Amino acid sequence: MRLLVTGSAIRGLPVVTIDGGEDVAEVRDVIYNPEAGHIVGLTLNKRGFLAGRRREVLSAHTIHAIGRDAVMVDDESSLILPEDAPADVGAPPPGRDVTGNEVLTEGGASLGEVKDIVVLVGSNGEVVGYEIDTASGGTGYIPLPSQLAVSGSALVVPDATKDFVEHDLVGLGAAVDDFRSRLGLR
Amino acid sequence: MSDRLTNALGRKVVSRTTAEELGDLVQIVIDVKRRQVTSLVVGKGRKALLVDWEQISGFGPDAVMVADDDALHPPRDDHEEAAADGKLELIGKRTLSDAGNALGEISDVIFDTDSGAVETLVIGDRELPAKSLLGVGSYAAVVTAPKAG
Repeated sequence: MRLLVTGSAIRGLPVVTIDGGEDVAEVRDVIYNPEAGHIVGLTLNKRGFLAGRRREVLSAHTIHAIGRDAVMVDDESSLILPEDAPADVGAPPPGRDVTGNEVLTEGGASLGEVKDIVVLVGSNGEVVGYEIDTASGGTGYIPLPSQLAVSGSALVVPDATKDFVEHDLVGLGAAVDDFRSRLGLR
Repeated sequence: MSDRLTNALGRKVVSRTTAEELGDLVQIVIDVKRRQVTSLVVGKGRKALLVDWEQISGFGPDAVMVADDDALHPPRDDHEEAAADGKLELIGKRTLSDAGNALGEISDVIFDTDSGAVETLVIGDRELPAKSLLGVGSYAAVVTAPKAG
């Protein structure tokens, strides 16, 4: 059983220092690398209502953990200027937004369209699944293998994925490990 | 002897040399890394002063005895300033695990009145050893993630 959170739920979370207990920023947006299946960084807003954008970003390697209630960093030096960040974070290549991409199985069945990413709580941005608009019209959650083919308009997932379309995050949290062991990933 | 912060708050602070009542205990200031009470905040607002733990001659059930009237001093650094301003109030402080999950509010802190060692944090009805505490700030206290948290 794993705790999960959607990408949209991460937006607006406070960024809190572990050693200081201070809320130094809040999450503006998520920078995601679909090939890697991992969040590579976060853009930031100043803390507080309508406080505006912060130029600094967080790179995944300086994120201690993304949780349900906060993003934890060691201290304020984890916030870096985009020019000092890895290129992936400071100037992410275009075409990485997976929203709206069609999810196709290797056997050629469409499972639906990607709505959001699903992140493992407590990790520094490991994406373990997608929230999708299913072909039948509802919302579903699918687990992801660690690597998959992404074209910018569609992504290809193993056939086994169709047996793991869950109705909620709790279901997906329970399914992730089963799915990965079925694929021989762990 | 162990005491609960909720019991100790409001206890009068008295000078041992003059028997003068100097004020009420309003807050304890802790050094997270050493898990130690380093000073006490006496009085509120602009009148808030601090007394170092070393200056306390007896932390009793009815009064906290300090060496003399001069033991009280205004804040000497940013940390003491924040404490005197009430920003590091422990009771009611939001807690976050280092995994980024809210665990509830601190309902009590148990410490040793002889040594000043912080022993236990009470969060809701869950007790965590003081070594779980990683940081305390104006926004939250951060603790090591307990199992399944």
